[in-house]
Amino acid sequence: MVQAEANKKSSDSLDVQALLAKLIEEVQQINQKLDKILSVQKDFVQTFEKTEWNKPNTLDPDMLSLMGLPSALRKTVIALYKLGNATAEELSSETKRLRAVESAAANQLVRIGFIGKKREGRKVYFYIK
Amino acid sequence: MERKVIATHSSRGGTGKTTLATNLAITYLNQGLNVALLDLDFRAPSMLSLFSKKIQMPVTKWLNDFMLGECELEDVLVDVAAGFGSDGKLLLGLANPSLEAIKSMTGRSRAWEVGAAKKLFSIRHTLFDRTDIDCCILDTSPGIHYSSINSVVSSDVTVIVSTLNPVDVAGVKNMLAEFYEEFEKRAVILINKTFPQTRFWPESKREELADKMEKVFGHTVIGVIPCYCDVLETNSGSFLVVEQPDHPFVKDLQEVAKKLETM
Repeated sequence: MVQAEANKKSSDSLDVQALLAKLIEEVQQINQKLDKILSVQKDFVQTFEKTEWNKPNTLDPDMLSLMGLPSALRKTVIALYKLGNATAEELSSETKRLRAVESAAANQLVRIGFIGKKREGRKVYFYIK
Repeated sequence: MERKVIATHSSRGGTGKTTLATNLAITYLNQGLNVALLDLDFRAPSMLSLFSKKIQMPVTKWLNDFMLGECELEDVLVDVAAGFGSDGKLLLGLANPSLEAIKSMTGRSRAWEVGAAKKLFSIRHTLFDRTDIDCCILDTSPGIHYSSINSVVSSDVTVIVSTLNPVDVAGVKNMLAEFYEEFEKRAVILINKTFPQTRFWPESKREELADKMEKVFGHTVIGVIPCYCDVLETNSGSFLVVEQPDHPFVKDLQEVAKKLETM
């Protein structure tokens, strides 16, 4: 009886060991696959970053790109072309819209990368990059 | 006249855009205004041959050089007013007609086009703030591409020259819908080269045609000019405004000039 129990325990232990070994092997295979995926992804990201069409020039405010902008934002960019560097107040005088509207539009254009923004003293100037 | 930049544009070539631009410039010069006339048709420059008899010195700097940042606008401008017996100013900015120059202006990057648009907007400041120019006329290239749309967007008003040819009319309608309305640009239409018999129409009948075309385009028609064979036959280097000041074409053009002054 005791021998049989001992044999069973030994057999169970072997099963667990085999199972663990198999699990480890599978985890290792999964790791290898993940490493491969990460490596491919890294290569892709590097290639993507080097690709010309992914350069920031996709955000250049050239006239054809402006055609894809909402008219409210386009108006601000055109005013900026006309004025060169301009504050929201100056943009507002040009477009005849509220200063707050120009400020919001210009800051949105800065966020999407179409125009730049710089501070000179107490004034904030927007400009075409 | 309030200082302004006027662009001439068309949906395709051969509508009479350059003839309008040059004769309009001389008309204003004759009225005592100081005028700048810039050839921004970098794909098919023609002003050099048109004005060759009036230019005293060899041209060494072109608008191409200015656009490429290689010189200032003032370095490019040639005053040809004396050639028209005027003591005013007619400053010409010429596009380089060499094949190499034409090739170099095409296929530029979008970033470059941003710089080009900035240059075109700077022309207004240079001419109006630093010189005593009253009116600047930009002769653009036909259709929608960077060099034409940069010029149109930087101008105060654009005269779109169209014939009654259905292809022309459809092209202009398309440009108005796809581009001018998007940019909220002020544009007027000049119907040019209408059937020769319209030359003998009474004013009321021409106005009727203008009204009809206004409905078609949904934009102001600033004038209807018949097809005059003698305009087409005008030799390079001679200008009807100067050679035949009483010609009906010149009278029609003076009306257009007057209407543009008030815009």
